[in-house]
Amino acid sequence: MKPSVRQLPEVATPFASVAEALNVDQMPWLTELRQQALKQFNSQGLPSKKVEDWKYTSLWGFGQQTFNHDALVHAVTAEQVEQAALLENSYRVVIVDGQFSSALSQLDNIEDGLTLSSLSTGAAQVQQHLGQQVDIAKAGLTALNTMLMKDGIVITVAADTVINKPIELLVINSGATDDLAVHLRNVLVIKQNSKATFIEHYIGLSDQVAMTNVVTEVVLDEAAELEHYKLQQESDNAFHIATLAAKQAAKSNWHTNNISLGAQFARNDIHSRLEGEQSHTTMDGLYLVNKQQHVDNHTRIDHLVPNTTSNELYKGVLDDESHAVFNGKVMVHKDAQKTDSNQKNQNLLLSRGCEIDTKPEMEIYADDVICGHGSTVGQIDQDQLFYLRARGLDEVTARSLLTYAFAVDVLERIPSPEIKAALADVIEQRLPRGGAAA
Amino acid sequence: MVTLMSEQAQQIEDFVPNEYAAGFVTDIESESLPPGLDEGVIREISRIKDEPEFMLEWRLQAYRHWLTLETPEWAHVQYPPIDYQALSYYSAPKQKTDGPKSLDEVDPELLKTYEKLGVPLEERARLAGVAVDAVFDSVSVANTFQDKLAEEGIIFMPFSKALKAHPELIKKYLGTVVSYRDNFYAALNSAVFSDGSFIYIPKGVRCPMELSTYFRINAANTGQFERTLIIADDDSYVSYLEGCTAPMRDENQLHAAVVELVIMDRAQIKYSTVQNWYPGDENGVGGIFNFVTKRAACRGESSKVSWTQVETGSAITWKYPSVILQGDNSIGEFYSVAVTNNLQQADTGTKMIHLGKNTSSTIISKGIAAGRSQNSYRGLVRVGPNAENARNYTECDSLLMGDKCGAHTFPYIEVKNPTAQVEHEASTSKISEDQLFYCKQRGLDVEDAVSMIVNGFCKQVIRELPMEFAVEAQNLLGLSLEGSVG
Repeated sequence: MKPSVRQLPEVATPFASVAEALNVDQMPWLTELRQQALKQFNSQGLPSKKVEDWKYTSLWGFGQQTFNHDALVHAVTAEQVEQAALLENSYRVVIVDGQFSSALSQLDNIEDGLTLSSLSTGAAQVQQHLGQQVDIAKAGLTALNTMLMKDGIVITVAADTVINKPIELLVINSGATDDLAVHLRNVLVIKQNSKATFIEHYIGLSDQVAMTNVVTEVVLDEAAELEHYKLQQESDNAFHIATLAAKQAAKSNWHTNNISLGAQFARNDIHSRLEGEQSHTTMDGLYLVNKQQHVDNHTRIDHLVPNTTSNELYKGVLDDESHAVFNGKVMVHKDAQKTDSNQKNQNLLLSRGCEIDTKPEMEIYADDVICGHGSTVGQIDQDQLFYLRARGLDEVTARSLLTYAFAVDVLERIPSPEIKAALADVIEQRLPRGGAAA
Repeated sequence: MVTLMSEQAQQIEDFVPNEYAAGFVTDIESESLPPGLDEGVIREISRIKDEPEFMLEWRLQAYRHWLTLETPEWAHVQYPPIDYQALSYYSAPKQKTDGPKSLDEVDPELLKTYEKLGVPLEERARLAGVAVDAVFDSVSVANTFQDKLAEEGIIFMPFSKALKAHPELIKKYLGTVVSYRDNFYAALNSAVFSDGSFIYIPKGVRCPMELSTYFRINAANTGQFERTLIIADDDSYVSYLEGCTAPMRDENQLHAAVVELVIMDRAQIKYSTVQNWYPGDENGVGGIFNFVTKRAACRGESSKVSWTQVETGSAITWKYPSVILQGDNSIGEFYSVAVTNNLQQADTGTKMIHLGKNTSSTIISKGIAAGRSQNSYRGLVRVGPNAENARNYTECDSLLMGDKCGAHTFPYIEVKNPTAQVEHEASTSKISEDQLFYCKQRGLDVEDAVSMIVNGFCKQVIRELPMEFAVEAQNLLGLSLEGSVG
């Protein structure tokens, strides 16, 4: 399993400018990390399709694209931000074209115990965690991110604190800069018995070619809880690469929901390590793609100790000539007895020309477990369609309604009614509207 | 609770089998080529077997292609690298004449071996209605029921014999399902295969009996490379049984067979395997490496193939009996029980490639892992862009016995047609304490209870086997897991 070496010749160039921007002289450990990543990237390059994790997703197009690493001045207004944001009532951290904007952010009346800062100011605070949840040796894109990360958000929640207001990280690509590449790093540390809600929201305002490569690292201490949502609405020509990784101490709960709607090319790697007993992960997600979109979701849950549980539901709706990939891996390590794990992936194919490649995997090294997974591929039920048509709905509306019903299922486990409703709205808007319903 | 669990863990250990019942070596003279592989060896094999020119040419092409390949490493198995130059590629029981004309002429030592294995070669064969084409270290020594089969126009003979009697059929079909370019072991097999079975069922014929072959690996250090080719012409039917045992050895023996099935319009092949080769001792010493390429091509419309396998032996089992569903309305089925114990490793499953319209496939896989073994299901369901209304149902369940073994599932599903319906379902668990308690409370001892539960777990597969085999398979299951529980 040797990844082929396909280097981006210009990778060393942006490194100099980034190094400057991050004030690396004051943080030699960070410079060191970047150097390691650079070395790693130069020896490994980007993964080829021969690597099992990239079997169905080619980075060829990505490798051919040249990107601009320096953003020009943007002109995003407060109204645009307001329109783009998912939630009205939240702490809002806005990053435009790769740079944190305090003017557009909404960070008043921060509750006690919560600190929110951009990576450039908050990195020192999370030195012990930064880079710990991801492996630069494994994925070329993570090495690329580590080498070039410029901004992002650092969130810490003190022990015994419940943060009531959700935190929305709004990452906007304004389109002001051609072929802009943005490398973001988010670090969240939730201390024991604390709770927070975090939404990563990526949005493109133009159809400019762009690249977002984001790594989010999460550390959950004992009995910490994080509701962690991700909504991706990048522009039609964007490349979106995201890695989410969490390590979970005893009794902690990580609830992720990953909704992928935009980008011509999207790849999500989501990984949780259940390191403490009675910890739990929920991984839900939806990919709704059309035209020639390509979306690839790779999830992995490591059950490392006894008495841990996980639950996963990913659904996909594929239209036109889109291509979706799902790979869900559940690893039950030796001695992780009493693991209870359940995974489901369901796909709805709407059109000729689309392709789904799904692979739910289980690797189990303990015997006293209950593990199951299921995977289906199918189409809209003709009887259901007939039922709706017989009641006067036109074909487009009927199909949209059935598709909507299929898709919103993934939101069922979201506890907050506001977030659930907001996400359901976004999904609904994405579906075609028929005459009768309008 | 803790004591209960450890007590049960102990019972599991106790239940795990110990002695390999079929472990014995027949002491007969054999004629072998010295170890090593080059074009000279291939020419020699071809010369010994007196093969037509095209066969030698094909072998050499395969060999040259094999030289360009690297050993595949993607399977979830671990084993020391194989030195292909240290193996001997041909071994045949020494014969004074050109071949035995009747059973009396067969080496009595050999017949004794079959008796120990319970091969119904003599009157037992007649009673059981089984025609045996027994392959003993690469050369077929006896055939039965030839006349009866010949009446129907069925060709059932050793591969080398068929090569002389029906070269046109072999030339037409050999390598069309599994090309020598297919993979490392298929290339190796194509270059050096010694013998195997050839079956041709003519149009409209329903084979009146179950056809069966026993394979044994006997001479030490000899890899056995069989080649089986079965062709079912239009509207025909055949059920083929393959069962294997091998003597106990301390060195790993390589077995890289190729099985090709061709199924024409409305024809049907049922291919059943019970594999019980020497799995190595409890420390993983010895045992067979079973790296097999099995594939069926449903060429005709409404053709059907059904693979049923019970895999209990071999140190490493690495095989994926596959079906290419080319003809419209064709059907592929795969039923498998794979049992691993001690340090055995199995990476097995199937591939269903849907190409024709209205094709359907069913996959039922049951994996049982005990001891320190690793048992993986790896499968592929692919629906091509023109495979309208393809349907697949997959169910793979794993049962774990003991906390040192592993069970893994790697199903690949690739769909390029929006009318396809594909379902995959997998579960992993152990025999629950509730189930055991229920049985024990009704007076069954632990062993019987486990045996009953395991048999129930595998029933879906076992019932697909022909009757004679089903009995053997059930015994094997019991034997393989004797003493173990969850």
